[in-house]
Amino acid sequence: MANNMADAVIIGGGVHGCATAYYLAKAGCKRVVLLEKGYLASGGTGRSGAGIRHQFGTEINIRLSSAAVRMMENLEQELEYPRGISLMQKGYLIIAYTETQMEQFAKNVQLQREIDPENLTEILTTEEINRKLPFLNVEGVLGGTFNRRDGHANPFHVVQAFAEAAKRLGVDIRTFTEVVDIRTDQGKVTAVVTDKGEVIQTPVVVNCAGPHGAVVSKMAGVDIPLYPQRHQVAVTEPLEMFLPCMVLDFTHGTWFKQTPDGSLILGVGDPEHEVKEINQRCTWEFMKDVAEKMVFHIPRLKDVVVVRQWAGLYDMTPDSQAILGATPVEGFYLDVGWSGHGFQLGPIVGKIMAELISGQKPCIDVSCMSLERFEKGELIPEPNCV
Amino acid sequence: MLSYEIAVIGGGPAGLCAAISAAAAGASVALIEKDRHLGGQLVKQTHMFFGSKAQFASTRGIDIADILSRQCEELKNITVLLGATVLGYYDDQVLTIEQDNKVQRVKADCLVVATGASEKVLPFPNNDLPGIYGAGAVQTLMNVYGVKPADRVLMVGAGNIGLIVSYQLLQAHVKVAGIIEAAKHIGGYLVHASKIRRAGVPIMTGYTIKKAYGERKVEGAIVWQLDDRWQPIPGTELDIPVDAVCLAVGLTPMGELLWQAGCQMIYVPQLGGHVPFRKATLETTVPGIYVAGDVAGVEEASSAMVEGRLAGLAAARRLGYHNADWENKYQDALQQLMALRSGPVGEKICSGLKCVVV
Repeated sequence: MANNMADAVIIGGGVHGCATAYYLAKAGCKRVVLLEKGYLASGGTGRSGAGIRHQFGTEINIRLSSAAVRMMENLEQELEYPRGISLMQKGYLIIAYTETQMEQFAKNVQLQREIDPENLTEILTTEEINRKLPFLNVEGVLGGTFNRRDGHANPFHVVQAFAEAAKRLGVDIRTFTEVVDIRTDQGKVTAVVTDKGEVIQTPVVVNCAGPHGAVVSKMAGVDIPLYPQRHQVAVTEPLEMFLPCMVLDFTHGTWFKQTPDGSLILGVGDPEHEVKEINQRCTWEFMKDVAEKMVFHIPRLKDVVVVRQWAGLYDMTPDSQAILGATPVEGFYLDVGWSGHGFQLGPIVGKIMAELISGQKPCIDVSCMSLERFEKGELIPEPNCV
Repeated sequence: MLSYEIAVIGGGPAGLCAAISAAAAGASVALIEKDRHLGGQLVKQTHMFFGSKAQFASTRGIDIADILSRQCEELKNITVLLGATVLGYYDDQVLTIEQDNKVQRVKADCLVVATGASEKVLPFPNNDLPGIYGAGAVQTLMNVYGVKPADRVLMVGAGNIGLIVSYQLLQAHVKVAGIIEAAKHIGGYLVHASKIRRAGVPIMTGYTIKKAYGERKVEGAIVWQLDDRWQPIPGTELDIPVDAVCLAVGLTPMGELLWQAGCQMIYVPQLGGHVPFRKATLETTVPGIYVAGDVAGVEEASSAMVEGRLAGLAAARRLGYHNADWENKYQDALQQLMALRSGPVGEKICSGLKCVVV
């Protein structure tokens, strides 16, 4: 019989849950239990494009991401993970098709440099993009931004690295265990109930449940404005490495990258047509759409074979920003609502969550991401996301 | 987008019979086959079938493929798509199909999945050397393409496939250095084993392969004996120089489409791997999706044909094609299946089916 007294219970075995578990244990929290209803990284983390970038347009995301990139760079050492996280830091290109986008990009770059003097994001002309990626169709492209310290990683390895390090520090990770209830008493969290009938007594619960975040919050009596939104991805046969950087395009809602094994990972965000429910089934319409859009971007892909497709869920909020920190229920914390750019911020946010829960001053002030902002009308819309 | 009442996926014995019985009942059927010809594995089966007259006993597999293909052609409400690979099945009952390097979509009210099985492999050092084959692949090379696969072969596995392919290798003037079998007994029919033995090929039971060796391709294999707990006994190694190793170690159902469609699956060793739960009508847990043949559980072509007929009839009935003859045909198919599964060989299948028929 597992020990069912905990100091903190974390719900969700994605990068945010596993990083929070690791940093909590590292901070000295003795009995940390992590509950995951599937396997580790089976949700948004493992289904994501796993891009890593400095290139955001709000102060909070710029601060978080520049810290996160540095943590990713040292993650294998920090977590003593021998298999590597396949970090590819060969850059991240965001392309613009409209003057409005170019103006926004200029503002973003200025803000990034103001906040972080070491920020390397540069504005590229169409010619410079063409020189960098000669196979990319630049028809209609007005320019873009590029940061050579950005890139992508393997999300499964990142989660595994955190989970293994957390286990070594004594974290009790239980996969295929779903939370069915959160008990509170006089406005305080007291316990978590699982689908196996276990009741885990705990004064702290951290909701890292991604698209299931609203349902989990509701169990604690906290309503949050969060909904799932499906996104789909296609993966090709492995090709000789030709695409060193990740590419993102807000106009077509597309992004693509090449993993170290050579496979291309191709995504299209289509909020207009995609379902906004817990549904991770794939559609043939997406395959048609992604094929057309990717052949537009890289015409030479027309003869490349797609080997698989998958779907995953964004956890969307009204301003496409996370909901972080404490709630009106004492001991109930939120780390949800990342709206599609949460993977890369997992390490830094895990650290911040651990600091918040341990009562320390967080290394980055995340109070603007509190749940209260929706009531106060203090939204912080992020211009730089799909 | 093309639209059919029933899409049958796989033009092997099960799929052919499903298409024929559903079309004969009146349904419009698309029979989708990834190969350039119908018949599936029947086309390489040059040996005569056992079983009952109704399942073409004493007829060669390749001739059965012809008979069924012709029956298919005679039914005007069957559209045969050849060289057409089903890529996926989606929630709006749409199949995506690759044919001649083009993707097309087919909508179907019902599916009969008859995708068959694939050969299992064995893990051992150097099992990726050129010259390590599945026994079925060797059979295809010889009997379909007329290619002599090797000069001297070690066969791993003494089930029916291992025995029959060994005999066909001999017919193709390939030396069979021996057949090894991990179990203490020969798994296949004695009549096949006797033929092999009469030809002078040793069948070594209680042996497994330790490793293959060779520079750029197989040059030989080391085999060794197994004890009563299936553990290899050091010191019993034998070096068998061969230029090919054939693995006849069983088949496993190819249920990918069923997984994608959301059918409830279960691992049943007696049926070869993960198979779908199904009703007696062969309908899976997803209404309107039926299975037949090896994908429903690895068995034999004879029972695959009957399952195909059964699934085709059931799918047609679901769509409202139900005449006086239907019940007779259905009952007849059920009885034939029972007859095929009686006897010692059927015991294993029946015990597996107990786990999956709901």
